[in-house]
Amino acid sequence: MEFDFSPVVTYFPTLLKGVGVASLVALAVALMSIIGGLVVAVISIYTNKVVSWPLRFFIWLFMTTPLLLQLYFLYFGLGEWILIPAIVVGILGLGFHYMAYNADIFIATIKSVSDGQYEASRSLGFGHWKTIYYIIVPQALIRSIPQLGNNMILMVKDTSVLSAIGVAELVYASQYAISVSFRPFEFFIVIAIMYYVINILMELGQAWLERQTAYRR
Amino acid sequence: MSTEQQTDTPMVEVRNVHKRFGDLEVLKGIDLTVDRGKIISIIGPSGSGKSTLLRSVNHLEVIDEGAILLDGVQVNRPDMKGLAFERHINHIRQNMGMVFQHFNLFPHLSTIDNVTLAPRKLKGMDKKTARELGMQQLERVGLAEKADVFPNWLSGGQKQRVAIARALAMKPKVMLFDEATSALDPELVEEVNRVMRSLAEEHMTMLIVTHEMSFARDVSDWALFMDGGVVVEESTPDKLFTNPEQERTRNFLHKHLGNNH
Amino acid sequence: MDVDLMVEVTPLLIRAAWVTIDISSRAIFFGFFVACGLVFLQTFRFAPIRWFARGYISVIRGTPYFVQLLLVFYGGPSIGLRLDPITCGVFVGAFNIGAYMSEAIRGSIESVDSGQSEAARSLGFGKVQTMVSIVLPQAASLMIRSVGVLAIVLVKNSSLVSIISVVELTYQAQRLIGSTYKPLEIFTLSALMYIVIIYAVMGIIELAYRRAIRYTTQ
Repeated sequence: MEFDFSPVVTYFPTLLKGVGVASLVALAVALMSIIGGLVVAVISIYTNKVVSWPLRFFIWLFMTTPLLLQLYFLYFGLGEWILIPAIVVGILGLGFHYMAYNADIFIATIKSVSDGQYEASRSLGFGHWKTIYYIIVPQALIRSIPQLGNNMILMVKDTSVLSAIGVAELVYASQYAISVSFRPFEFFIVIAIMYYVINILMELGQAWLERQTAYRR
Repeated sequence: MSTEQQTDTPMVEVRNVHKRFGDLEVLKGIDLTVDRGKIISIIGPSGSGKSTLLRSVNHLEVIDEGAILLDGVQVNRPDMKGLAFERHINHIRQNMGMVFQHFNLFPHLSTIDNVTLAPRKLKGMDKKTARELGMQQLERVGLAEKADVFPNWLSGGQKQRVAIARALAMKPKVMLFDEATSALDPELVEEVNRVMRSLAEEHMTMLIVTHEMSFARDVSDWALFMDGGVVVEESTPDKLFTNPEQERTRNFLHKHLGNNH
Repeated sequence: MDVDLMVEVTPLLIRAAWVTIDISSRAIFFGFFVACGLVFLQTFRFAPIRWFARGYISVIRGTPYFVQLLLVFYGGPSIGLRLDPITCGVFVGAFNIGAYMSEAIRGSIESVDSGQSEAARSLGFGKVQTMVSIVLPQAASLMIRSVGVLAIVLVKNSSLVSIISVVELTYQAQRLIGSTYKPLEIFTLSALMYIVIIYAVMGIIELAYRRAIRYTTQ
């Protein structure tokens, strides 16, 4: 057993570029899945069955099938109609997947806000939608932070899967370097360490955010 | 404002109100008039319909029959539907302050934001004016120093006082109290009662549902005893509490006055 | 939808689904032992052993399963670890889910009121006896649920071994989509198979849960 990390050093800029792409994707997916998840949750709770049932079906479908299968479907399915870059497919695929998971959380936390909150707001003269906007949703958001954080930590790890459809994140970016250096172990160890560091930072961030909002729950 | 002074329309009028939950009729034709600046207390055993009546005035319960009027304007409007009714009821409710048994403060907002949210978002008041108004209301309930604290850090009594300030900030024509002190520890009841008394001194029109017999007797101009969805007896508080005419009233008072100093 | 095509590819997908079931069930089975081992290591007096277990769990949970799979499959040979794709899938799956399961098991044991073991100890039960006959029966129902959730996660994660060319359900689906250009048909069929597998797992969990709950309901 002999390790040689010099190719990793040589190709480090390439890896960093991969980190950049992964971060960009993660940020876009976080925005899409949190905002989208919230909208889906509100619509599926507060509208009629014609609208809410299809939404709940899609939430269920995204949660009971593997991410990779969804990605392949989207990649080939969209590819049939239009030519779009892999990164867009990746963002959409990961975005819809976690939108479903986040919506599932929001549905539970929105329902956990007591009826008394709704009544108090209505009794002040707020309308139905204003009450949802000013009173229900902010409280549900705060209550969602722990689980939402978990989802986003899982999501960042799942950006690695996007290499399967050709998104130039960390794993994909290192493929060429691995094929010429033939040092897969060293590269994947370094990639794993990078993910581990990001993961720990995110967990710290999550704990901090939970502390910051605890008194508002 | 000027029309308010001239008219002698009652502030709240309840006319022959019926309310059913499924097969159970909880309000069986209630009539009630609250004149301007008067304080009316409603007592009665739990399940008597007194809370349902109060909630009906705020349209938190939709009545099946009869009419409820606030300052001459009908609150329930079976003829109105959808958005039109939504606009109507939102406007009506801005003129009524409701205080709940479980406070229902908004936990995600600081005390002052709880008080100013409605004036800002519903009356379009700017932030600075709203804060001044909010501070006035908090001073009124003796909690100005808690303006930037979040509800979870307040005691039950303080929470209820903030809830009162929140309702007052909308300059309501009438205040509705739904067992405002029932959820409080005994030692916290008095601070809320004190705030309510001070409102009485300012001639705020109030409709109070309560378990606190002695407080009701002290503060009200008129008192009602409800049981089984009907008003069994009503009179001046002195008469109702010391010399009631009905057997049911006597029995109820006999059971409850013992526990309430 | 092209129904003829769907009928045609169904046997292929069913065969691939069996591979998914095979890999997943073996990984869950071995993963449970990995998990028990990790829980056991954390009860050691000798701190470095506990640290090792904590560190292992933290690293496994803190890095992507996908990267772990690639590391072992492609990087394994350079440390003398040569595994065929299916074995690699089972092996990495088990060691990955084991870390998560150990946390689930520990959590359900800790959820049992400490008064229970105090009461048992005061009656003269030994440490092991207390664990086996008092604590575990009460922790069982919660443990079954939380371990069960992870079993479902593993079934979905097993799709990732397609990357190291194991012909399981997702691999077959991807290949068929690529050759037929009928993504909707293939997706519908393969999604349906995953749903059947996952609901079967959920059914087993529910049965086990109902058996276990007899101990906890007073």
